[in-house]
Amino acid sequence: MLDAATGRTPPVLAGIDPYDTATVIDPYPFHAALRDLAPVVLLKDYNVYAVGRHAEIQQILDNWQDFSSASGVGIQDIRRPGKFRIPSRLVEADPPGHTEVRAAVTKILSPRLIRSWRDLFEREAAARVGEMLDRREFDAMEHLIEPYVLKVFSTAVGVDLPRENVIAIGEMRFNQTGPDNVLYRGAMERAEPYLDWYEHSVDRVGVLPGSIAEQIYVAEDRGEIEAGVAKSLVRTLVGGGTDSTIAGLGACFHHLARSPGQMALAVADPMLMRTALDEGIRMESPFQVIYRTPNRDVDFAGFTLEKDRKLGLWLGAGNRDPRKWDNPDMFDLRRNPAGVHVAFGTGMHVCIGQMIARLESECLLTEFARRVKTVEPAGESLPRPMNQMRQLRSIPLRVTPQ
Amino acid sequence: MKAIYIVPGGAEVAVDVPANTSLMRAAVSNGVDGIIGDCGGAASCATCHVFVDPAFLGLLPAPGWNEGQILDCTAADRQANSRLACQILMTEALDGIRVTIADPQL
Repeated sequence: MLDAATGRTPPVLAGIDPYDTATVIDPYPFHAALRDLAPVVLLKDYNVYAVGRHAEIQQILDNWQDFSSASGVGIQDIRRPGKFRIPSRLVEADPPGHTEVRAAVTKILSPRLIRSWRDLFEREAAARVGEMLDRREFDAMEHLIEPYVLKVFSTAVGVDLPRENVIAIGEMRFNQTGPDNVLYRGAMERAEPYLDWYEHSVDRVGVLPGSIAEQIYVAEDRGEIEAGVAKSLVRTLVGGGTDSTIAGLGACFHHLARSPGQMALAVADPMLMRTALDEGIRMESPFQVIYRTPNRDVDFAGFTLEKDRKLGLWLGAGNRDPRKWDNPDMFDLRRNPAGVHVAFGTGMHVCIGQMIARLESECLLTEFARRVKTVEPAGESLPRPMNQMRQLRSIPLRVTPQ
Repeated sequence: MKAIYIVPGGAEVAVDVPANTSLMRAAVSNGVDGIIGDCGGAASCATCHVFVDPAFLGLLPAPGWNEGQILDCTAADRQANSRLACQILMTEALDGIRVTIADPQL
């Protein structure tokens, strides 16, 4: 099925399985091999393409005409028999259907609304950081980041988010978008007791007045969003904004504790923390990979990419591509990578809740830099391996106050 | 190269802008009033909304998909010459560009 124009097939990347648990935990050798072999490679075992260079990832994300989202952002083609899952109307859709939905949600998530939560986020950050200073030694995931995000994000979005349920369902969702492997099967089993909760977790009866969820349901009442779609949108926002923000903040604290010079800079100028999240998710992109699918045989980067063969964009690899970044492996609070890194995606599917994540992060991290003098590891960070998402399970830290 | 910002209230502020630096970044670094730039330059927050002098408008690349959609959500109503300053990168051709900062941004 090769296009006559080039007919060249991308080279096969052999010898590394990106979905092997050890590679999921330490993906950097895979990222380097992927970037260095070619702009597009073939992963034979999965029958998919993979892209790891920053420039090509950006080009594909910007080209929705050739590279569709409608067959799913995971490795499976959700249009195939047996693979079907209900697509997200926001994430797994192309124009024209996507455009109106995206516009309605963009309007609701206005800068003014997001700013209105600042007091709440700051109060919660102050309480949490104060508690950590009393403890001196703590787990940044379990004691700080997870309780903070689950509290402030659940208030903003208007949906109850109990910790055990969120973790189990998150593991299920971010493994389901990968192959049917040991990670996937383990996560499915652990999620089983929470499936009933998940089914009803975003029902209209439970949402908080004034919240994002309520406004989305109201927009549906008014006909601004097509009937029946609001619930799926709320689910997408909750699912897209909970685990990923926790993961991104985890990356920030993990690296701050291992970069004393950076922490000293932030203590001297806490406003540097405003962009820390962007640098944290550049270093450890929560969404490691998202898929697109060629709509036709497409000539790209010297190769012909076959229609319907899925194409994985390894965002984590692009965000450390030395072709794009100086010292890509260094956590650098002065780098200011917002708008350049691809951890939020780019193009029409760029993360719609990124301003909420930035506000959550800014409030927590500036408070941390104002009140903590030093932070160091109190043990190894432990991974929570998932096929799609890069997230730590435990980050033991020790702090001293100012 | 210079950019001239007309800030809320009508004063003109001229700022040196290096090539390839966005007008949002240059304004924020130089403390120009009225530009917030909450998202850091990702065309995602609509708080660096400017009206571009028509003499320069045609020299700019057309807005991308996101910028187009975000411009429909600005606090001050969108005009034909509305742009996000974070998406305007300085070039030699844009030396002397004049933009009026929209008010309000939130």
